[in-house]
Amino acid sequence: MRALAADPSTDAQIASARGLVKIYGTGAAQVRALDGIDVDIARGELTAVMGPSGSGKSTLMHCMAGLDTATAGRILVDGEDIGAANERRLTKLRRNRIGFVFQAFNLIPTLTAAENITLPLDIARRPVDQDWFDAVVDAVGLRDRLAHRPAELSGGQQQRVACARALVSRPAVVFADEPTGNLDSRSAAEVLSFLRRSVDELGQSVVMVTHDPTAASYAHRVLFLADGRLVAEVEHPTPDTVLDVLRDLSGPARGAHTSAPTAARTAEPVR
Amino acid sequence: MTRVALRSIRSHLGRFVMSIVAVLLGVAFVSGTFALRTMMAGTFDDIVATSAQADVYVRGTEIASQTGGGSMGVGGNRTLVPLALADELAQVDGVSAVTPDVTGPIILVGSDGTAVLAAGGAPSFGLGYDPQDPTTTIAAGRAPTSPGEIALETSTLEASGLAIGDPTQVLLGGALTDVTVVGEVHFDAAIAGAIFVMLDLQTATQAWAADGLVPDIGVFAADGTDTDRLLADVQAVAGGDTEAISGADLRAETTAQIREMLGFVGTFLLVFAGIALFVGAFIIANTFQMTVRQRQREFAMLRAVGASPSQVFGSILVQALVVGVVGAAGGIAAGVGLVAVLRMVLGSFGMELSGAIPLDGFTVGVSIAIGALVSLVAAAIPARHAALTPPVEAMREEDVRHEGGAARWSGALGAVLTVGGAAAVVLAATDRLGDGNELGLAAGAIAALIGVLLLAPALVPGGLGALAWPAAATMRPLGGLARGNVTRNPRRTASTAGALMIGMALVGAAAVIASSTQASVRSVVETESTSDYLLRSATYDVPSGAVDAVAALDDVDQVLTVEVAMLAVDGSVHDVVGVDRALFERALDVPVVSGDLAALDRGEAVARVSAAEENDWQVGDRIALEGSTGSQTVTLGAIVDTQAIDTTLMVPQGVLDELSSPAEQTINTAFVMLTDGADAATARDDLTAAVQPFLIVSVMDNDEFADALSAQVDQVLVILYALLGLSVVIAVLGIVNTLALSIAERTREIGLLRAVGLGRLQLASVVTIESVLTSVFGTLLGVGLGVGLASALPSVYADSGFTDLVIPWAQLGTFVGLAVVVGVLAAIWPAVRAARMDVLDAVSYE
Ligand SMILES: Nc1ncnc2c1ncn2[C@@H]1O[C@H](COP(=O)(O)OP(=O)(O)OP(=O)(O)O)[C@@H](O)[C@H]1O
Ligand SMILES: [Mg+2]
Repeated sequence: MRALAADPSTDAQIASARGLVKIYGTGAAQVRALDGIDVDIARGELTAVMGPSGSGKSTLMHCMAGLDTATAGRILVDGEDIGAANERRLTKLRRNRIGFVFQAFNLIPTLTAAENITLPLDIARRPVDQDWFDAVVDAVGLRDRLAHRPAELSGGQQQRVACARALVSRPAVVFADEPTGNLDSRSAAEVLSFLRRSVDELGQSVVMVTHDPTAASYAHRVLFLADGRLVAEVEHPTPDTVLDVLRDLSGPARGAHTSAPTAARTAEPVR
Repeated sequence: MTRVALRSIRSHLGRFVMSIVAVLLGVAFVSGTFALRTMMAGTFDDIVATSAQADVYVRGTEIASQTGGGSMGVGGNRTLVPLALADELAQVDGVSAVTPDVTGPIILVGSDGTAVLAAGGAPSFGLGYDPQDPTTTIAAGRAPTSPGEIALETSTLEASGLAIGDPTQVLLGGALTDVTVVGEVHFDAAIAGAIFVMLDLQTATQAWAADGLVPDIGVFAADGTDTDRLLADVQAVAGGDTEAISGADLRAETTAQIREMLGFVGTFLLVFAGIALFVGAFIIANTFQMTVRQRQREFAMLRAVGASPSQVFGSILVQALVVGVVGAAGGIAAGVGLVAVLRMVLGSFGMELSGAIPLDGFTVGVSIAIGALVSLVAAAIPARHAALTPPVEAMREEDVRHEGGAARWSGALGAVLTVGGAAAVVLAATDRLGDGNELGLAAGAIAALIGVLLLAPALVPGGLGALAWPAAATMRPLGGLARGNVTRNPRRTASTAGALMIGMALVGAAAVIASSTQASVRSVVETESTSDYLLRSATYDVPSGAVDAVAALDDVDQVLTVEVAMLAVDGSVHDVVGVDRALFERALDVPVVSGDLAALDRGEAVARVSAAEENDWQVGDRIALEGSTGSQTVTLGAIVDTQAIDTTLMVPQGVLDELSSPAEQTINTAFVMLTDGADAATARDDLTAAVQPFLIVSVMDNDEFADALSAQVDQVLVILYALLGLSVVIAVLGIVNTLALSIAERTREIGLLRAVGLGRLQLASVVTIESVLTSVFGTLLGVGLGVGLASALPSVYADSGFTDLVIPWAQLGTFVGLAVVVGVLAAIWPAVRAARMDVLDAVSYE
């Protein structure tokens, strides 16, 4: 494993967490979704996060992106202390420094693809840098779809629009929670290669959650979560090395553990 | 299924609250109207019962049927009976007391030196105090016995601020008289704010029955006398020119007349209740449309496990029924509350209405039925839609729009109705429908209103797109987001705006009619009145003493009066005005259509053009006139085109005097002509000083006269606005409702926006812009429609003095400004709710 930075606020890491704990619910229904996570996300890298269902991947993304508040621990994103920020500050951060891609439902149905992409800039009343916009649009290959509304785009195209939107404001870091979860392998490849290129060519920092070893192999580094803890890590992954780690983790000893949070998840009230 | 339906209404109560409130407000108006009517009828019944307690009445014979219009009152359509008859009646076997009805107008001066005026336009009565009359009792002091003494009814005494023994003045027969209050008289019943002043019988007779004639004579029977026999005996004594009627029959007759009058008031109020309910129905339909869509999956699941379409349909209607009944129950309570408040307000003005607020089974039944019916009808279409959607389709993630066929049909129908309605209005306005003009106008207006309602969804994308343009251009991206939200479901936006549109159409039309009327009145005064000053009275009857006092002034050359009395004209009762020819030569400049005004000198009559057309009169025709004191046939000598004197017929003053008693005549207006060279300002001071003792008289120049007439129109307008305000309130609730529900629908979208950095204030702004857009859209449609339709009125009603069309742009601008305010207010709660949503909860909302 990579050694943790002694001072997380240095330039080498774009985001970092120390002693991160997230507890849902109280009493018997209590779930420790994150159970003391220490992690550094390197600047200018594509980092993948993997782990069984219910292991806390989404929770980690949400907490680091300032969408949710941690129960304990410290989070720094681009030098900013997320835990100490109030709602106004968080809104600003989301607008300017953080990009987020959800697994599904990423676009506003009433806006065109182009409008969806520039939405964060419009919200922040920042001018659109046309060169950068063109670069991003070309990178996702959506030039001829810009005037279309989400309903007129395929699932893969929609996710690429969402990725473009996450990148257009040049955020310090993009968090993507299963961006390819709903896509077939071809569409998934489109989105993943775009994310990788944004890192390699545009210098972005990206963190992405995935269940797919092939997807993870696009990353510079893969982090493995289980039961809310960081349990393994692979540098320069290939699908095979990732699969090996997964097989190790889902051994008999782990299986018993993963079933409990899964049960808790299904017991969640339907809203 | 019913259980599922009721569960669901309980767990989603919030969604139905607005619907319930909408039903509640509409029903409150209905039940309030009924309760008010019953209460007022009860009050008047009491008055009738106590004011007409005699066993038999002798009155004059009928001279015209009530159908002639113009007259709502009881008097004016019967001959008078001789006072002398009273003594003869007293001799009849079994008669214990005889009370001639000696009554007439009087003005009492209160302790503060101003006239004691009755609340809410209730009349002031002077009565001759008859010691024989068993229905009045002296509560304190003693009865008046000489011309300088009066007694006051208990609540009149209170209102006047006077006490027994106080000196004051009364205005009697046009002259001011010094009097002393010597007693307090008590009547048995509520008197609805009327002012009662009692004089001694002799003074009263001199004042109001100097010619020995009274409207009726009451006869009280001694104990044990058979009323039927008494009736026959009285009739025998009274003779053929009179009619004896039993007290019971008279009371029934009067009650029936009052009921009819209250019926008009009730109908008027019910029209507004209907508008409120119609608007409320839009909200209910919208609510159900949205909740049905939100619960589409629930229904699909029910369908998938075997529920039939009719079961789904039924379950939604059960919910509608609950909403309707709960709303109606609340509405009944609110209606009673409304009437209670109204009664308190009236009470504080001195107009007492009788005790309990009546709530009969009929009112409750009708209210519940209306609430339930409106809800059921409004929910039927969304329910049908829910029932017929195939389960698989409903299970799908994206919402499917079903606006194909039905929407096109209703759009087409709307276009047809709008164009047809507008065409009818234009035809009516250009006078091409002959007698059907008014009908064409009314039908056309209704068709156009419904047409625009149906057409509105088609107007939403273009209309709101254009309206939203400034916001979209200046407030990126908030304006654009708001525009997207209001145009994404045109039908919903249209019906939300439609609710406001109805009220605003009526408000806009009322504004145009009012300002046009005011302008018409002003131009009539300006073009026709050539007098220097006018005298008007707060009681619409200028005392003749004031006229005399003014005429005696040095700088006054002549005072010309317009006296009004009710006469039977060719058998039906109308206002007839008594004038001098000089009036038309000096005070009014009136175009003569045919004949000549010298006819007045020959004792002939003059008619207005509209009345001549209506009655098919030509110069030279003979017209039969009959009043309480005589009858006469006059020749029509001239037809004039005047708007200043709004009456059927004008006759020489002498003719009017022969046909009616002075007590029946009122001096509506007196025109004052100054001598040549008199200084207008000094003259005005003199006039004001001369009428000052008469308290109720004011001096006006032509401008002020026009202002005073305009002010009357404004008063009516205020009442109309207040009533229409209810429908606007309901429409605002509709906007709140639609916003709240559509925000719930877009929860995930809102979460997403917040996740990409939309601030709370920005989100609230989006909601507010949506709200303002909807409200301004509805207002523009409504005001445009109302103004368009009202613009046709002047050409249709030109004959009735509606000559000028004035569109009050400033006022209409205010309405649009108001719409913005309304939009902002309506957005507050939904916006706060949206802003409070937790980002993550919202994103993962299903
Ligand atoms: N809002 C919540 N309330 C209570 N418990 C929650 C909530 N959100 C998540 N959890 C629990 O926290 C744990 C971690 O959830 P999380 O969504 O982070 O898992 P994940 O790794 O993203 O799983 P998946 O691969 O299925 O998306 C789970 O046990 C889940 O049941
Ligand atoms: Mg997850």
